[in-house]
Amino acid sequence: MTLHLQSVRVATSSEDSSGQLVFADGFLVAVLVQLSGQHGANAGMWFLEAGFGLTAVMSAPLFLDVDAAQDWIGLHLGIKRVGA
Amino acid sequence: MAAKLPHALYPLIRKLESVARLSDAERQAIERLPVRVRTLTARQDIVRDGDRAAQCCVILEGWACRYKFLSEGRRQIFSFHIAGDIPDLQSLHIPLMDHSLGTMTHATVAFVPHESMHDLTARFPTIAAALWRDTLIDAAIFREWLIAMGRRPAFEHLAHLFCELYLKQEAVGLAGDHRCPLPITQTDLADATGMTAVHINRVLKEMRGRGLITLHRQTLVVKAWDELVRASEFDATYLHLQRRAAG
Repeated sequence: MTLHLQSVRVATSSEDSSGQLVFADGFLVAVLVQLSGQHGANAGMWFLEAGFGLTAVMSAPLFLDVDAAQDWIGLHLGIKRVGA
Repeated sequence: MAAKLPHALYPLIRKLESVARLSDAERQAIERLPVRVRTLTARQDIVRDGDRAAQCCVILEGWACRYKFLSEGRRQIFSFHIAGDIPDLQSLHIPLMDHSLGTMTHATVAFVPHESMHDLTARFPTIAAALWRDTLIDAAIFREWLIAMGRRPAFEHLAHLFCELYLKQEAVGLAGDHRCPLPITQTDLADATGMTAVHINRVLKEMRGRGLITLHRQTLVVKAWDELVRASEFDATYLHLQRRAAG
């Protein structure tokens, strides 16, 4: 199983709009959003805006980059990312 | 009364009088309670989940919260407490703590031995009734939090909480003119509402953007009270306050 990303704009009712859809074998498993300047010290970090199935957890951490987010998603899906 | 310093337990009396009526004899009986006053730092536990309590804690100054930790550092805050509250009053009848109580800010608290509380309530049924009434109001607040947690969208939820926190403080003379202390972090708000700190940040920005509130230096100013009330479908009935300034 491999993860694929697709850039997307997300309507979060905030300045956070730059996002990535995360697919695992064609299935949407998560929506990530990069935090904007309104989040102060956390600006630039990635936030699990929505998780589906195994990634639908209440308390995901913030991720330094998309790679870290993918590692975390992979861990929750029980897969090892190829070429990570 | 003029030049007399207020008694250490004055905040408790003021709180009880915001939800019930006390006679002079009852007020004096409360003032005669033996108390151990302590100052605590912020984020300090007062009593912990699993402890067997032998005393009650009256908040005299500062903020505290009841909370519980889950695995992976997840925390749920059940309630916020201000001067005059006895957040662990339940321990009087169920001493085994099923949650923790801790300070959120630097705080001054008074510890009253259970024995003295039992004696007070046995001698003064009206005080027992006032404490019972306060406990029932506590339960009413829990019901509102449950509704908010389960059914209110983020904006409405946070707006509702702000209305509640303002009125609770106003009722005991700690707030006025739609301005009140709010010495808590976005993470605290997230842990109390079941949201993430990211969502709290977004909702606060939207509230500010719509001109409803400002939140600066731990002070909440509600710029448009009626609109905040409307947006959160807030009905103060559940606080059962005895005397409440017109909103």
